[in-house]
Amino acid sequence: MNKQIILIGLNHRTAGVEVREKFALTDVDNFEQGLMANCPVQECLALSTCNRVEIVAVVKNVPSDQAMNAVIQYWATACNGSPELLIEDIYQYSDLDAVKHIFSVASSLDSMVMGEPQILGQLKDAYRSAVEKGTAKTIINRLLHKSFSVAKRIRTETAIASSAVSISYAAVELARKIFGDLRPTKAMLVGAGEMAELAAMHLLRNGVQDIIIANRTLSRARELADSLGGEPIQIENMPDRLHEVDIVISSTGSPVSVIRARDVKAVLRKRKNKPMFFIDIAVPRDIDPDVNTLDNVYLYDIDDLTEVVDENMAHRQEEATKARAVVDLETETFGKWLNSLNIQPTIVDLVGKAEDVAMRELHKTMKKIGPVDERTRSSLERLVLSIAHKSLHEPICFLKRRTQEEGSADRFIDLARRMFNLDDETVPPDAHLDRKAATCSPEEIEKYVEVSKKEQ
Amino acid sequence: MGLFDSLHIVIIALYALGTVLFLTSVFTENDRLKRIAIWLAVLGFSFNTVDLALTLSRDPSALSGGTFYFNIIGWCALALYFFLWWRLRLEYLAITALPFALLLFVASLALGGIKVVMPPHLTALFFGLHIGALVLTLGALIMAFGAGAAFIYYNRKLKTKEGLARMGQNIPSLDKFDTVNRWAVLIGFPLYTLGLFSTFFWYLIAPFKPFAWDIMKIGSLAVWFLYAFLFHQRLVLDWRGRKPAILAIWVFAGMCISLIHHTITFRAVP
Repeated sequence: MNKQIILIGLNHRTAGVEVREKFALTDVDNFEQGLMANCPVQECLALSTCNRVEIVAVVKNVPSDQAMNAVIQYWATACNGSPELLIEDIYQYSDLDAVKHIFSVASSLDSMVMGEPQILGQLKDAYRSAVEKGTAKTIINRLLHKSFSVAKRIRTETAIASSAVSISYAAVELARKIFGDLRPTKAMLVGAGEMAELAAMHLLRNGVQDIIIANRTLSRARELADSLGGEPIQIENMPDRLHEVDIVISSTGSPVSVIRARDVKAVLRKRKNKPMFFIDIAVPRDIDPDVNTLDNVYLYDIDDLTEVVDENMAHRQEEATKARAVVDLETETFGKWLNSLNIQPTIVDLVGKAEDVAMRELHKTMKKIGPVDERTRSSLERLVLSIAHKSLHEPICFLKRRTQEEGSADRFIDLARRMFNLDDETVPPDAHLDRKAATCSPEEIEKYVEVSKKEQ
Repeated sequence: MGLFDSLHIVIIALYALGTVLFLTSVFTENDRLKRIAIWLAVLGFSFNTVDLALTLSRDPSALSGGTFYFNIIGWCALALYFFLWWRLRLEYLAITALPFALLLFVASLALGGIKVVMPPHLTALFFGLHIGALVLTLGALIMAFGAGAAFIYYNRKLKTKEGLARMGQNIPSLDKFDTVNRWAVLIGFPLYTLGLFSTFFWYLIAPFKPFAWDIMKIGSLAVWFLYAFLFHQRLVLDWRGRKPAILAIWVFAGMCISLIHHTITFRAVP
């Protein structure tokens, strides 16, 4: 195999924001086509986000160093920057290291906020665009499909994306732990701080039906009510309306407590002890800490929420170890597939699979017809193996012819491997672009063959 | 080994495996394991149903003989668990339903159940009201016990803010646990009242069976008063959350003690 995968990129860890800005790819489609035209690459894909640029390419019959230099030169030129500056801030991987890196990126193991889901969407968009422009072919197709399924597997099998890592989302998660479904709940925003507004927005997006905005200046409350869709009230009226709400987010600039424990006690009586969740984002705090001692009341201040976020972050780091093991395993599997992109291993696998099927069927038949002598048995074995081999003569001959043509070997070998499922792969139905669900049980195939014969 | 013995071993194996797998899945947050555990519970429950049906079809007097009440209580607890699973998506309560089903099934085999000499008068009514209502109450209280313990544990976590990251995504909300408690109180208490007072009533109408206070009746009545207090606080004073959860656990403990006492008494003096 004389094809190699190379990956060149920079991210938030290797480059500062000035460098990332400078070398961001504003027109990825043209960049990919330019790369194909100007560098010794056969396939390529580029991903450019605010935190990273990744360029994956497949090179053939060229040393990887040479190809990487060409890509770096082209990238620097495309961004009107100097290759010397660029080279200081990038990483370069080849072969399985490149595969491992792209799997880590897709699984969000390399992201600034580990486990965040956006990067997978961005990678899918980049892949879609590369497919449309024709720069992603057999190897990049397979690499990206695989990276999507690896990302999905990691999200399913580990808790890498399970807990909130932002203050506002942590508030939503806590509310869910108390109330479950947030749809029947109502919230109140006391004060109109930016972070409180963000938390309120998250709550509304996650099902909270209604919101009351209590502020010292009614005009600001009205402004917020217009953008969030709630009811504005003067802060002096807040105690009278407190019993109506389940979640209270407070962020006033008051130097003394705005909500006291004895007030909440009275409110609870009015609410028939229905639980309440208080989120105090203000410093100094707006809500009397004793509120948390009351039954059915949960109070979280900014430090508590930060602690929750930090703990979740630490938990994600622990989960990352599990995720990296999955990445290692999948990289190894991908390496095997990459090595199999030659005619000889494919023929061996093809014949092996056909022999397996033949012997399995023979075994079933032998069970039905009962004991036979050794001679008959060996004749039957020869017969089924001969059928298996001969039925493959034409496909093998076709493959051999096609792989001698320049540029089509990988495509046909990959197609053959997929058609005969030589890699025993199961791809989830939603793993990649527009995959159609189809069932393939042996009974259904038999039925399909029968119907097709009849229709002919 | 006969059909019955094999069936019993299969049921015990399914309940035991389900229990172990479910507990493991809760600690490891493994959804696949959880699903397997639930399906094992479904399978065990189905076999348990077949076992009960076969027992009754072979010998209908088994019902009035009362030799498999523990088995029925375990079966009932699982039936209520499946109901809660269906209504509230509360698969989590398998954490109590499965171990109790296993414990009660094994206990029914080991003890041979409570051997009760059924009164000759109004047997069907007595069984339907007294035993049926008490079995259902116990099933409801097993669920309330699980939900109550879970509520207290997670409520503490949310209040103290410790180990929240380990709480996992699949843990039901506190509100759901409280709903189970509410149902167990609103449905369980009237059933228990019916179960308890139907037997007192039977003493009034059955000839040659004078009513006399004994430790068994006093114990049952004490549990009833505790349950009535919980019912009152929940319904009239709108208690929610921690307090009714604690009280439900006490009521359940009282019921268990009363049940064990009944078992010992009836085994000694049928």
